[in-house]
Amino acid sequence: MSNTDNKNDSNASMSKRKKADTTISYIVLVLISIVWLFPFVGLLLQSFRSYDPKVEYGGMVDYLIPKTFSLDNYRFLFSGETNFIKWYGNTLVIAFFVALFQTIVVLCVSYALSRMRFKGRKLLMRFWLVLGMFPGFLTMICLYFLLKQFGLTQAGAVPGLILVAVASSGMGYYVCKGYFDTIPRALDEAAMIDGASRARIFFTMIIPMSKPIIIYTALVAFMGPWCDYIFASYIAFGHDESYNVAVAMTRWVWTNDYQGYFTRFCAGGILVAVPVTVLFMLLQNYYVEGVTGGAVKG
Amino acid sequence: MKKKALSLLLAMTMVGTLMTGCGGSSTSDESADATTEAAAEDTEEAASDDAEDTEAADSGEAEEEKPSASVGDGSAGEIKVWVADAVVDFTAKEAEQFLNDNPDYAGYKVTVEAVGEGDAAGNMITDVEAGADIYAFAQDQISRLVSAGALETVNPDVIDAVKSENDEGSITAATVGGELYAYPLTSDNGYFLYYDKSVVTDPSSLESIIADCEAAGKNFYMEINNGWYQTAFFFGAGCELTYDTDDSGNFTKANVTYASDEGVAAMKAMIALNESSAFQNGSAMGEATNVAAIVDGTWDSSTAQEVFGDNYACAKLPTFKDGNGNEHQMSGFGGFKLLGVKPQTDDAKLAACDALAYYLASEQVQLDRYKEVGWGPSNLKAQASDDVKSDVALTALAEQLKYSIPQGQYPGDYWSLATSLGDSIRNGELTSSSSDDDIMAALKQFQETCESYAQ
Amino acid sequence: MKGDSKTKLSYLIMGMGQILRGQWVKGIAFLMSEILFIIYMVKFGGTYLSKLPTLGTVETYKEGRKTIYGDNSFLILLFGILTIIVIVFFILLWYLNIKDNLKQEELLSQGKELPSNKKLLSSLLDGNFDKTLLALPVSGIFVFTVLPIIFMICVAFTNYDKNHQAPTNLFTWVGLKNFKELFSFGTHGMASTFFQVLLWTLVWAFFATFIDYFLGLAVAMLINKKNVKYKKLWRTILVLTIAVPQFVSLLYIMKLFANDGLINGYLMKWGLISAPIQFWVDPMLARVTIIIVNIWIGIPYMMLIATGLLMNIPADLYESARVDGATGWQMFKSITLPYMLFVTGPFLLTQFTNNLNNFNVIYLLTQGKPQSMKLANNAGSTDLLVTWLYKMTVTDTNYKMAAVLGIMVFIITAVITMVVYNRLPSVKDEEGFQ
Repeated sequence: MSNTDNKNDSNASMSKRKKADTTISYIVLVLISIVWLFPFVGLLLQSFRSYDPKVEYGGMVDYLIPKTFSLDNYRFLFSGETNFIKWYGNTLVIAFFVALFQTIVVLCVSYALSRMRFKGRKLLMRFWLVLGMFPGFLTMICLYFLLKQFGLTQAGAVPGLILVAVASSGMGYYVCKGYFDTIPRALDEAAMIDGASRARIFFTMIIPMSKPIIIYTALVAFMGPWCDYIFASYIAFGHDESYNVAVAMTRWVWTNDYQGYFTRFCAGGILVAVPVTVLFMLLQNYYVEGVTGGAVKG
Repeated sequence: MKKKALSLLLAMTMVGTLMTGCGGSSTSDESADATTEAAAEDTEEAASDDAEDTEAADSGEAEEEKPSASVGDGSAGEIKVWVADAVVDFTAKEAEQFLNDNPDYAGYKVTVEAVGEGDAAGNMITDVEAGADIYAFAQDQISRLVSAGALETVNPDVIDAVKSENDEGSITAATVGGELYAYPLTSDNGYFLYYDKSVVTDPSSLESIIADCEAAGKNFYMEINNGWYQTAFFFGAGCELTYDTDDSGNFTKANVTYASDEGVAAMKAMIALNESSAFQNGSAMGEATNVAAIVDGTWDSSTAQEVFGDNYACAKLPTFKDGNGNEHQMSGFGGFKLLGVKPQTDDAKLAACDALAYYLASEQVQLDRYKEVGWGPSNLKAQASDDVKSDVALTALAEQLKYSIPQGQYPGDYWSLATSLGDSIRNGELTSSSSDDDIMAALKQFQETCESYAQ
Repeated sequence: MKGDSKTKLSYLIMGMGQILRGQWVKGIAFLMSEILFIIYMVKFGGTYLSKLPTLGTVETYKEGRKTIYGDNSFLILLFGILTIIVIVFFILLWYLNIKDNLKQEELLSQGKELPSNKKLLSSLLDGNFDKTLLALPVSGIFVFTVLPIIFMICVAFTNYDKNHQAPTNLFTWVGLKNFKELFSFGTHGMASTFFQVLLWTLVWAFFATFIDYFLGLAVAMLINKKNVKYKKLWRTILVLTIAVPQFVSLLYIMKLFANDGLINGYLMKWGLISAPIQFWVDPMLARVTIIIVNIWIGIPYMMLIATGLLMNIPADLYESARVDGATGWQMFKSITLPYMLFVTGPFLLTQFTNNLNNFNVIYLLTQGKPQSMKLANNAGSTDLLVTWLYKMTVTDTNYKMAAVLGIMVFIITAVITMVVYNRLPSVKDEEGFQ
């Protein structure tokens, strides 16, 4: 597929075929790009359609390009008419702390499972694998009442969401452990002969060597909370100030109370997408390394 | 071995912190106290003159010492109110007015949150304790709320007043098993036709509306897979669907006649509608595109005015023809929005909630709410005011209500079942080529399931 | 009762033996946990445990207009289970306490010295570093994953639903009744719906996994071609779908394909169709549309993974194939594909099980709709088991059936994983391709 050359062809027809092949490749890639970009371009265009009835209309319409471009939707989001800034801040706080703590937990667990041999190690790994097969939603109501005992619902939903995300993150050790496994054990042994403790090896040797996997883990953890609608809405209900962007903004699409909010949803969506996308693009290479490693390890 | 012991030990201490956290739910009590204190402080700061200042401080202390103060003697706490986003500011303003007018309750702090009437019931049922003390909901949720223990009965002192001040339908809607459970808020939860004058020439018959829309390449919206809008056809054709309830909100008997010739006629009309290229399933003005006519309610009147501009017009629902050429006037539900109070474990707070709910549903506030967001009042005097009487949308609704049935109590499952029935038409299972038997089979299934909800 | 007096004392007062023998750090830790356990049982656990068999008997009642709540079945079940877990832990701890005592005795009798307190503590950073590292993550998982799962499994054996909702109403144990309901084929039984939903779940997971896999591979190979420039640009465009949160992109796409959405709107405007295409309304079309939209999401992931892996294939394999006169397709079939399948076997399996539970795509696009009179319990034609389960929990508050369904999902996932995993070539033969 990748190479259509044939030994028996003459040179002239070969280069002709190569040219045709290149052209077709580009056509396909351009078509793919259009399909892939279309929703984002649509989203961006809609976000510039004013919701002000004097200018245009904020609900659904059957045309793509706004008649007049305006920043009304963005102005609305920052005007303080809604708690958008608060929601955005909440999501940012959740994403930051989840990324921080989750990375720490994953590193700890991965090191212990990769480097230390203790009784019940295999059993623990198998047990976690089985746990992962239970559908998560089932436990939502239980988690809600557990968190409520600590006052971490409604007004306390932000720390509550961080706690739940971090508490169960130990089970996501696969990729990181796989990476640690590739670091030669001989290094550890040499350090131990020099009298270094396990903790010292972990902090001064393994962690500095694991920059790519740390960035990958943190990046994935950071991106998660931006999409968390289901659980966040269950924990925070009835307390507008502790919603995250996903919970607050899906209301604009799903609830009839918010007629004509569609363009405002699009604008909010763009604002949510920008930081995550920028971060992702900057750290893309680490991400690729992580998913590829993870895929091979399974 | 000791390795294991140590690890278990750490786990154990973790559990230890957990149990101290849960111990007799002391944490939640503490946080409740904290909010009480904060509330007291807030009012302290807010109060301008010294007399009120000391009173608020006193009440704060009294609350800390003994939570069960007697009725209305100035106890303190937080009252959570849930209303739709459109009226959050309005409600907050009115609540403040209420606290100013009633110094007895000045120790309370009222917080208003935007929780839509649709979500409110679900959230209340998930966790009554964390739910709002006063919340607005659409009447179809009332029986579900009563049986989940999320509604307190209306204060006996004002029952007679509430009953005489509001229209009869709204009182019926707020009553479950002979007990009045909620304060009527609006009497506009019905639907009628919004249309574009320049496209639709004759809004009185469905066939002509469809013909006009098709000719203009515009859309006609009606949410036929929604149990609420669907009844326009079924009741119009002469079917019946009501439930009897007992005192605690349980359904005892279903009176359904959908599996009948009338039901088949209604289904056929819906099938015919579904097959028109101008038809779109939907009932939200803000979501509708290229729209020329929509079956929708008063809450969308401002959006409709935006969309139709100078061609904005309203009318009662049209008539429709069944397969045999008989003409029926569309019927449907006339519904109400209600304000409920959650059962309280504290008499003083219950009194405050009762008083606030009664105030928020009173004549003046209903009228103000109409002026602010256009919601049609349930209060008889407010209905009689000139402003309300001259409203185009409310007039059309009043016209339609003559043909509608005041909405009673329906089990929550009915609504999703009705969606299934509507979707059976939309997804092409039932089409104009389906035999009467096929349609009847679906209706029979529907009717049996409806009956199975009542025990 | 074995052991000397110090050990015997530890049978009753945990840690006493260790304290008396000078290992007071460990001893106090044992002692503290015993004290904590007793406080817990007396102040909290005991009452919940005693009510666990009935899940509460005191009804909620009214005193005047005031409400006095009775037993809360939900909390009784939750904390009852927690208490059982705590007791099991405690017994284990007690047993370890005795064992440790006996071991100390033995060491002393052999004339050896016991490790000092300092040494024991510092071992937590060295030989016992794994305990330090794992303590918090493991307890976190126990409280926030294991406990809730046990709780939900128990709910499947109760009548916890909208008519038995805490705190106002009590619920209680009903045995296997809910499972019987799931497998009853009557008019109101759920069995036929369950199997229809299950079938679609499997079909969906199959297509979602393999279509994405092969198309992603194809796109990766296309970009990898020597004569294609701007590789980074093409990849970046595709990768946008991973970066943009799904609730934004999928909700927008949902609107895009609606009957009155942009796509139908333009097609009608251009006169290509006269009536809207029922993307989300027609059951078959809705399923196809979902799978297609999922390609949009799935290809970029697969493309990224394949890009990395394709580079690992030794170039001389292709060289020698080319010398033998193999065509591009033949090389793909006999080198690239076998290599990829071999290496990504476990990944494909995880993808498949993830897709079985792929909530976001289905819920954000269709919420399981369209529904039908032919399906019971409000299931829709595009509902997966998990979305159906979610609707039961949140919309219908039918927790008991949701729990039963959850157990079914677990069984299905576990069986598929176990059956397939041991047959994977890369698992059977780790050195296979090297």
